[in-house]
Amino acid sequence: MAEPRSWRDGAVRLTTLPLIAIFGAFFLVPLVMTAVLSFQGTQYYRLVWTWDLKIWRDVFSQWHYWSIMLRTLSMACICTALCILIALPVAYALVTRLKDWADHVTLLIVFAFLTDAVLKTFGWVLFLDRSGVLNGMLEGLGFGKAALDVLFSPFATMIGMVYSLLPYAIFTIALSMARIDRDLVLAAYDSGASRWRTLREVTLPLARPGIVAGAVLVFVLSLGVFLEPRVMGGGTSPMAAELIRQSFETRVNWPLGAALTLVVIVIGALSLALFGGLALGAGRRARA
Amino acid sequence: MQRPMSRMFGPARRDVLKGMGALGLAGLAGLKPARAATRMNYMCWEGYDKASIIDPFEAANDVEVSVDLITDSPGGFAKLAAGAWRDFDVVSSDSPWIQRMGPADIAEFLDPAQFADVYGDFYEQFRAPFAPLEFDGKVTGLPTRWGWVGPTVNTEYDSLESWASYDNCFDPAYKDKICVLDWGDWPIMPMALHAGINPYEELDDAALNEIRLVLRALFKNTRAVVADLSVAQKGLMDGSFRTLIGGGTYCTSALRKDGMKHIRSIVPEPKNGLNQGIIWMEATGIVKDPSDPEKARALLRHLVSPEVAVELAWTEATCNLVPSAKAEALFSDEQKDVLQMDYMWEAWDKSQFHNVAPNIDQMLEIWQQELAAAN
Repeated sequence: MAEPRSWRDGAVRLTTLPLIAIFGAFFLVPLVMTAVLSFQGTQYYRLVWTWDLKIWRDVFSQWHYWSIMLRTLSMACICTALCILIALPVAYALVTRLKDWADHVTLLIVFAFLTDAVLKTFGWVLFLDRSGVLNGMLEGLGFGKAALDVLFSPFATMIGMVYSLLPYAIFTIALSMARIDRDLVLAAYDSGASRWRTLREVTLPLARPGIVAGAVLVFVLSLGVFLEPRVMGGGTSPMAAELIRQSFETRVNWPLGAALTLVVIVIGALSLALFGGLALGAGRRARA
Repeated sequence: MQRPMSRMFGPARRDVLKGMGALGLAGLAGLKPARAATRMNYMCWEGYDKASIIDPFEAANDVEVSVDLITDSPGGFAKLAAGAWRDFDVVSSDSPWIQRMGPADIAEFLDPAQFADVYGDFYEQFRAPFAPLEFDGKVTGLPTRWGWVGPTVNTEYDSLESWASYDNCFDPAYKDKICVLDWGDWPIMPMALHAGINPYEELDDAALNEIRLVLRALFKNTRAVVADLSVAQKGLMDGSFRTLIGGGTYCTSALRKDGMKHIRSIVPEPKNGLNQGIIWMEATGIVKDPSDPEKARALLRHLVSPEVAVELAWTEATCNLVPSAKAEALFSDEQKDVLQMDYMWEAWDKSQFHNVAPNIDQMLEIWQQELAAAN
């Protein structure tokens, strides 16, 4: 039997070098450059090397930056919860009840997923508008003109976010559920467990890795959504990505944009650490 | 000590690229003939890159023009200021940014005497000395396109008279029927003027607070703050937006070109001694140390020539006025109608010129703050 390989093994460390190089070049170096940029200043729309805390003082003293960050965080949390709630039954159905149709349904989801984001977002505008397809149908059903006026609202932003990010949750959860040993589910039934109890005590715990992976993917991507709040949200509820764009482009304040970028990254990392800690604690309690 | 970032690099990137280009050419010698004797790099808005504009210049000057499109003027300025000026020869952008490029040491100052014939072809209003494109009496560029910022109205839903002032923007009867265009400072300036403040002058805290209050009131009545022109135009066409604020001719002309002549951009009547309209203008300048100054000047002259001005006025995405008086005779009646030429001097007379605003960063910050608190 082969010995388990350890990090002390030089060969193992060597094989990780390419990954470390890519990670360093395309993540760490840009991150350090962003951090460096946040300590500089601007003068006459040009970057000047000042090495001071002016931008950070500005970031921590302006409430509106934090209100936008809080809105972004709450929208990301709601989007993650909705995606998981919708993805769970869809993934379960794909793996169990719709096995014969799984390929076709997966193809449809992939097709929608790979369609250009701008096209999808503008499609939603045409669908949700006061004079759009949805309100046209509702009017035909007797609900009156512009019965559902949701476009250009945070609700519309949420529809767009969930629509764009749902496939990440569906596929990770479906993959996780597909690997569950069917005998374990059958054993639960044999032991007299109801369908609900089997789902709750066997299927969901075993699908946890996929649920967590899907949630992390959706949450991280939600923090950076740009098109949905800008186009479907009507711009009056800006989120972090728009704030950063405004700082870089409109205000030509690159140090401010860099500082706000770091704030979003830190908020995302801390949130994931918090959720990760809670999930780990819950798992330990369940095993105990 | 503060050092501009663009000055931190040693050899000019253009020189390095030239060297790399020479090496590449040496390697490819015999495999692929060069398309033109020289190459120029041109930073511009969409429309300036039309084949009918660039191709004749390339053919006449044996030069290959490589175009870099900008999507916003501040971004273009920032890119040049960060060091990209070494890579470019000519730039077309909004006039306040071209005006800034001279003193920022990223664009050449022009000798107006060299362009006397060009100025001679312009409308009187754009002839030298033309203050909006001067810094300390030195010329930073030539005007290429212009228009006005004012309410864009679909006359099937609203009369033009009802937009003789911006009062409707704050009228509860218009709640959720207004669309504000999120185009940098464009929507802020008309609102400041409506509040009785000239945003192009140095502002004190009280004036800035007044701008804050007017923006707050505007956002309360606004259905959407839209950056995308097609979304704004769609809403205007179907009546879900009664007017667009912060746009003007730039977003009207393409609709009028498509036959929607009932959509017009107007300028409100002067209020509190302040003209309420704003004249925007695009201009073209020569980037500092162009690889071939002669060719850079030739491209600049080409862009403002009457024949090219007509091409520049009439593009796929937007149609706009040009400063060339000689070009007017080359427009058809239909084109003149689309461009609202019958109204242009009335709009001019009722407008301020869009310029470098001393407090623009504070105003943009206020915009951010009020937008963050709007919902």
